[in-house]
Amino acid sequence: MKSGNAGPQNGSKPAPATRPRLRALLVEDNSADAELVVRELKRGGFDVSSETAQTPEQFRAKLRPNRPDVVLADYNLGQWRGMDALEILRQEHLEDIPLILVSGALGDVTAVECIKRGATDYVLKDSLARLPVSIRRALHEREVSEERKLVQSELAKKAEELARSNRDLEQFAYVASHDLQEPLRMVAAYTQLLAEKYRGKLDEEAEKYIHYAVDGATRMQTLIQDLLAFSRAGRDGMPTAPASSGEIVERALQNLEGALRDSHAIVNYGGLPTIIANAGQMQQVFQNLIGNAIKFRGPETPVIDVAADRVGGEWQFSVADNGIGIAPEHAANIFVVFQRLHTREEYPGNGIGLAICKKILERHGGRIWVESQAGQGTIFKFTLPAAAAEPQADAAIPQPLAAAAAG
Amino acid sequence: MLLVDDNPADIDLTHNALSRTPFSLHISSVPDGAEAMALLCRTGKYKDARPPDLVILDLNLPRKDGRAVLSEVKSSPQLRKTPVIIFSTSQASRDIGRSYELGANSYVCKPGNLQDYISAIMHIGNFWLGCAHLPHQEEQ
Repeated sequence: MKSGNAGPQNGSKPAPATRPRLRALLVEDNSADAELVVRELKRGGFDVSSETAQTPEQFRAKLRPNRPDVVLADYNLGQWRGMDALEILRQEHLEDIPLILVSGALGDVTAVECIKRGATDYVLKDSLARLPVSIRRALHEREVSEERKLVQSELAKKAEELARSNRDLEQFAYVASHDLQEPLRMVAAYTQLLAEKYRGKLDEEAEKYIHYAVDGATRMQTLIQDLLAFSRAGRDGMPTAPASSGEIVERALQNLEGALRDSHAIVNYGGLPTIIANAGQMQQVFQNLIGNAIKFRGPETPVIDVAADRVGGEWQFSVADNGIGIAPEHAANIFVVFQRLHTREEYPGNGIGLAICKKILERHGGRIWVESQAGQGTIFKFTLPAAAAEPQADAAIPQPLAAAAAG
Repeated sequence: MLLVDDNPADIDLTHNALSRTPFSLHISSVPDGAEAMALLCRTGKYKDARPPDLVILDLNLPRKDGRAVLSEVKSSPQLRKTPVIIFSTSQASRDIGRSYELGANSYVCKPGNLQDYISAIMHIGNFWLGCAHLPHQEEQ
């Protein structure tokens, strides 16, 4: 039998232009068997360079400097076993090299055991023709798995970079807003003092200039405070815990006491569930939504309904009002920072409340949207993921809160 | 009264606010904590200074910060009876808690808008000068 044969044995097909190179490390104490294996590999179309190891020490030594592409191991070599080679590969951190058992009859149970323990495949010595196919499949699988590992590690790196970039941005926004407040306080205070000191002593033009300056400065103060609130909202790593959404709504209503009284608004809430959330942030959400419902009221007494429904794995909350409504074409815009649909004279505010709600809810893994028509009231809906072992909602009886009923 | 603040604009604002109270006041001001201690201990150029009846103290000061001044004043047998009001933009609960721990007589956050600033200073003046009784300061 010639060795080192360059062409295929069958037909007059020309030899392939390039044969894939294969570096094989054989674990075999029978040189005749080893030769048979190498010949089969060449027949299978590989450009083979092979080494043979008969003892564990030889095996370990031959793993470097040239890594084998594949290890072909006999099952039983007297003093040691082919599966021991697998262990050595692991110790050398080379467990991605496929190990194929090439052996006499093993028995299904043993064969399956070996594969479970990490052998890539096994081929019977009297069916060696299978070997090239098995090797090709093993090499292909390794390529795929390496590609996938690469992609995963790139993804993890990108995610980490993104998280860090987000933290940096939030930190920057917080520091900037904080540090901007001090000089702004100076501008605002002293323009107001100017206005006060020279009231009535300046001509109309000058009074107007001072008025614009004061107005600009005070508006900027509110803007920066809003930015600060926005950068604090739903910050990375805020703690969450089980909380009663009913109690959170109550605290929000306490903060809205003045507006509730002035508008004679009625707020219904009841049967609200326990949620897993950051209570302070969720209070902001309810305060913003209910506050908006009161602010953008129509001619009738505002009636606001807060409710929650279990939809699949989520709680779907709704805050519904009978106010002025929102035309559908504006529905997406209202959640953008500083976007407003009305002038400051019509309704006060900076346009940051809904952007804050959206940020907080998204950080909780939920989302928020609006259903409304101009002139027909508005329903804001948002979702929060429900916890696994879901406790029941508290009191099913609606609890109307008539703020001015007592008069 | 002694005002300790490194921002001259705030010193002026406080003067302005105090002038709206009915009290006739002698107001000194220093821009940092080292000067504040020198004045309170009547050392160097301050050896003839009148001991203040009330101190309004900012926290973030150069050379020696307000926390150190507070600590030194409230641990000195001669100085600690002098009421010290912390007046600072910091709303950090850490700063507030620590100030009271060190013996601050009260902590007032500097408000952001003019009206509230003036109002806060007037409250402080009206309370300490009009309502509370101040300890007698010996002229040694």
